[in-house]
Amino acid sequence: MARARAEQHPATGTTLIVMVGLSIAFLLFIAFLNVVKTGSLLTEANLLYAALIFYAGAGALYLGFGVTATDSYIKFASLATWAGLLANTAAVAHRWYEAGHPPFASVYEMLLSFVWTLAALTLVAEKLYGVKVIGTVTMPVAIVGVVLMQLLPSEVRPLVPALQSTWLHVHVTLAMLAYAACALSFALAMMFLIQDKVKTELFLVGTSLFSVGIYAGVLTRFEKWGGLSVVAWDAENKSEMFLSRGVRLLVTIPDLGWMMLLVFAAVAAPLVLYILARLRSDESFINVANRAVFIGILLQSLALIFFLLRARDGHYASLDAEGLYPTSLAASPFILSGLIGGIFASLLYLLLLWRREDLERLLPDAEALDRITYKTICIAFPLLTLMIAAGAYWANRAWGSYWNWDPKETWAAITWLVYAGYLHMRITRGWRGRRAAYFAILGFAVVMFTFFGVTYLLPGLHAYA
Amino acid sequence: MALSLRSGYRKIWQTLSSIKTGVVLIILVVIFSAAGTVILQRPMTEPDDMQRAYSPQMLRILDITGLTDVFHARWFVSLLVLVSLSIIAASVQRFPNSWRYFARPYKSPDENFRRVLPTQAQIPIADEEQGLGAAEHALRHLGLRSERIVRTRSFSLFAERNRISEMAVYIVHASLLLIFLGGIVDALYGWHGFLTLTPGSQSNEVALRSGAVKSMPFAVRCDSTGEETYTDGTPKRWWSKLAVVDQGREVERKEIVVNDPLVYAGLRFYQASYGSTGKLDRLILTANPTSGTGGAREISLALNQTVVLDADTSVQLAEFIPDYVVQDGRVYARSNDVVNPAAHLIVTSQKAGTKASVNVWLPEIPGFAENASSPYTFQPRDLKTVNYTGLQVSHEPGQWAVWAGVILMGIGLTCVFYMVHMRFWAIPTLDSRGHMVLWIGGTANRNRDAFEQKFQKLVEEIKKELKPQLVVSAPTQTATFAGK
Repeated sequence: MARARAEQHPATGTTLIVMVGLSIAFLLFIAFLNVVKTGSLLTEANLLYAALIFYAGAGALYLGFGVTATDSYIKFASLATWAGLLANTAAVAHRWYEAGHPPFASVYEMLLSFVWTLAALTLVAEKLYGVKVIGTVTMPVAIVGVVLMQLLPSEVRPLVPALQSTWLHVHVTLAMLAYAACALSFALAMMFLIQDKVKTELFLVGTSLFSVGIYAGVLTRFEKWGGLSVVAWDAENKSEMFLSRGVRLLVTIPDLGWMMLLVFAAVAAPLVLYILARLRSDESFINVANRAVFIGILLQSLALIFFLLRARDGHYASLDAEGLYPTSLAASPFILSGLIGGIFASLLYLLLLWRREDLERLLPDAEALDRITYKTICIAFPLLTLMIAAGAYWANRAWGSYWNWDPKETWAAITWLVYAGYLHMRITRGWRGRRAAYFAILGFAVVMFTFFGVTYLLPGLHAYA
Repeated sequence: MALSLRSGYRKIWQTLSSIKTGVVLIILVVIFSAAGTVILQRPMTEPDDMQRAYSPQMLRILDITGLTDVFHARWFVSLLVLVSLSIIAASVQRFPNSWRYFARPYKSPDENFRRVLPTQAQIPIADEEQGLGAAEHALRHLGLRSERIVRTRSFSLFAERNRISEMAVYIVHASLLLIFLGGIVDALYGWHGFLTLTPGSQSNEVALRSGAVKSMPFAVRCDSTGEETYTDGTPKRWWSKLAVVDQGREVERKEIVVNDPLVYAGLRFYQASYGSTGKLDRLILTANPTSGTGGAREISLALNQTVVLDADTSVQLAEFIPDYVVQDGRVYARSNDVVNPAAHLIVTSQKAGTKASVNVWLPEIPGFAENASSPYTFQPRDLKTVNYTGLQVSHEPGQWAVWAGVILMGIGLTCVFYMVHMRFWAIPTLDSRGHMVLWIGGTANRNRDAFEQKFQKLVEEIKKELKPQLVVSAPTQTATFAGK
């Protein structure tokens, strides 16, 4: 079938590959010119830039594959991913060598490792499990990761005394592996739901809930008079500004809060329309909801642009201190990734809306996906356990107590309990298929909250990341 | 009456051991722990901040329900105890069955079992011995040692691997209970406190978090302490050289740093903080005679120490104020942080029998300083203050149970997820048409699709074993077996 399609439209098949190939070559050429000018070839920034170019190429090809199902795209997409991974590996190695410790000590370094793990897992999932379409999801995430890294303070910072421990590396490596495995189980559970003929409306609800969650999180920073508070940024030292020890200085960008409120309403609209469709049993609401997703994407993009323009550089007043303070995109990595993540989720929904049959054909069968999801969680759960144990042992050496009920610890325990619940239901109650898939999705939502939400929303000892 | 009591007891037991109860309890733990991370918690948050965050009524409700200190509230601890009881009840109820399964493996499959087993195959054979021998051989190829089972009416083969995997779930549950036990022991008998020492001092009194003071049966002495910083000023290392003094004797010495505590008699001493006491250790100055002979010289002064500058003149350090402020005609110390230090020197000259003292202040504080009339001028060079080391002291007698539980859980989870209990049976029998066949069956307790492939491989292997023997004559066969 795929072959037949490719033969029907041979032009489109090669056009995209040639276009992506030419873009990669062009960008690399430009980058090379820059390198000649500065004279240093193998710097971390260059390596990351190369990784970004290749990941972007791979992402375009994977997306092309998702939309047109042309088999030849996959080959080149894999190739580009390999190239990107190679550059990424070199960047990791460079960083490790420069810093003298594995790259886990700051948000920048964590992202570096995370993107690397993600690209590696994409190739593993593709080669080992035959889940070819997974790059459509992971590559854009990798691209966002690399772009974010460009904004974050990247210079090698010395390790504060509490982080000088082998257990840092053990703990963080395990966390990365566990979270990556959870992410994989989430993607697989989603694919299972597609393959299991779950109604597209439910994905609409999921997408809408996800965006609503993001904007609700952003709106916790909503201030009086419709402003949006962001952290002040000291450009010289590339660090956040503090009001006092542990209390960040927030500045308020005027009117941006209204914008976010508007987008919040827009992304909540599909959810409301879905509920209306259910209550009145009127399917026409669903069509309106699908259109609302469109409008939602437009507004979300607008919000992103406004945010980029206003938060990038500028001096704003603070509610807590006199005077104007600068801020930067780097000060709000979580808002930024949230906004991009929301747009990305909506785009994925549109892909599903238009190309559901193609996607179904490309994926392994439902039963296999269900089994692989379970297996992935069987890997993730022991890793989570070990991660918590290593963290507890380290806390006992550094802080004098193996368990402090710090928010990060508590949420790690909650994550563990959710997956323990999944395993019990699956093993003793024989939960298979959809219920198990929903559980896996819930588990990953908790993981994401533990990883981002706790750092961003809740105070605690885990101040580093 | 006794009967109803027993049935009531049984009902409680059944409720406790059901998986539904377990899941409900887990959900409750999740909800309340999440609440504990969202609501500001008492000992960590200052009372002022609590009052700022919540209205008085709200705060009162939160305090009464224990939501401002969820993780130490009685009801939360009771909830955790209930979870433990539920795990115990569930394990106890399911254990006997599993144990029977584990202790008395089912080795000789009867007819009913053979009929319903999903994974099975039949291979035609010439005689019993030939079939069993081939199966034995094939199983050995798969790395399994098989066992010949002789029953009155049958003669069969049994092989298995990783029987322990059937018990793994109990290992995991036991490990979780062990961790809980450690936590409970620490909650009841453990304590955390703080001990501040300056170099040269020793103490056996620890200030507990509750405000009480705990006396240790031995004292800890700090010999020296210090800080190293990176070039940009961020701290790189804090260290303290500690000694344990037990009954007047020094029994142990260790230099501790963050991440590497001193452990003695079940107590752990952590490098938790470091700072300045505001007290002076030494002040380094250069002294320059205002007139006449003699060059500048460097002197080092401790508090109240007098140094002779020349035959007639001496200087004494009378006062050191780490953070000075002038108010109402006096010099006060505002804090103990060395941010705005001042030193008071008294220069005494003895000329022609008369003794004259001059007050020199560094920096020159108007109204106090008589620096101009001093025979020497002084420039401060360096300031060494007495630093303290803050030690966190903890006593956690239950932690060994926790670590043992963690290791046990690692072993248990490995068994649960990565060890498959697989069993194979082979028995010569007659098929429906009366031909002699070798019936082969197998089961695995998890990862069934991979097992299916393994089983197919085994069947192929047995067929391969049988093939050459089908063509050769019977005597050679026996010879082959004898050879093995």
